[in-house]
Amino acid sequence: MIDVQNTMKTNCSHQPDCLKLIQRILDKEATAEEEARFLANKDHCLPCKKGHELELALRKALKSKCTTSCPSGLLDSIRSKISSILLFILLLIPLFCWFI
Amino acid sequence: MSTEIDSALALTESQARALFEKEFVPHMDAMYNFALRLTNDEDDAHDLVQDTCMRAFRFIGSFEPGTYAKAWLFRILKNNFINDYRKKSRGPSKVEFEWVEQSFAGDDDPEPAFQADLQAETVNEMLGDEITSAIQALPVDFRMIIILCDLEEFSYEEMAKILNIPIGTVRSRLHRARALLKETLANYAAKKGYKTDMLSA
Repeated sequence: MIDVQNTMKTNCSHQPDCLKLIQRILDKEATAEEEARFLANKDHCLPCKKGHELELALRKALKSKCTTSCPSGLLDSIRSKISSILLFILLLIPLFCWFI
Repeated sequence: MSTEIDSALALTESQARALFEKEFVPHMDAMYNFALRLTNDEDDAHDLVQDTCMRAFRFIGSFEPGTYAKAWLFRILKNNFINDYRKKSRGPSKVEFEWVEQSFAGDDDPEPAFQADLQAETVNEMLGDEITSAIQALPVDFRMIIILCDLEEFSYEEMAKILNIPIGTVRSRLHRARALLKETLANYAAKKGYKTDMLSA
């Protein structure tokens, strides 16, 4: 069995461009051709493979660590303010009609 | 109040309520999370989301069903934060000034000076508050774009509209924000004894 890791490039002369492409792929902003070309080459270039893994790990970590739910009291408070506005409008319409 | 009335008069009470429940409520968690990351304070986040919803409600009569309410709400929230809440803070950090200076240096897409040599395994092992601390340590413009893209998954075009900047600036700001986030995480990792050499890009 061939040791894939040993057949990989360990230096990538296009690393800054590859990093931008990796980010565009994960942001769903790359074309299908760009994505297919990258995925075909990824396993032959260690810096690109590691870069791809790092970007994925960062997104996963952000989603698991940086999300908070809205406190239920906040939604209740907004609903209550909206009800007050709607009630005010309901009272205002007959008054408006009476004037004209 | 008069604007709220003008707009809401275009709808019946039940229509306005139904539109609020259908178009606003599903995005409340995302809006609160965004507000909390921007303000760093639960009370300020509470007020910011409430003000945003009330401002959006003023224009609910002109909201076109089928358009992307989340992007519309995030744009109002961002403007609200910039106009009202950011002024209350003590001002931008030193790092923020440095990045602003670079932005005005005339280079539309400046490359980060280096990329931190951070490994996916290191990030996966960060089980404490390193990630949230690193996000909070970013200048607010960088924090904002990372949350919009990586947490809320807005497209570059949507982010350009929310932030009122060209798409090219979205790309370059995202790239620089991620480089700075990695650098911050690499510094945290270094303090905990991981290998973190800085490599030239």
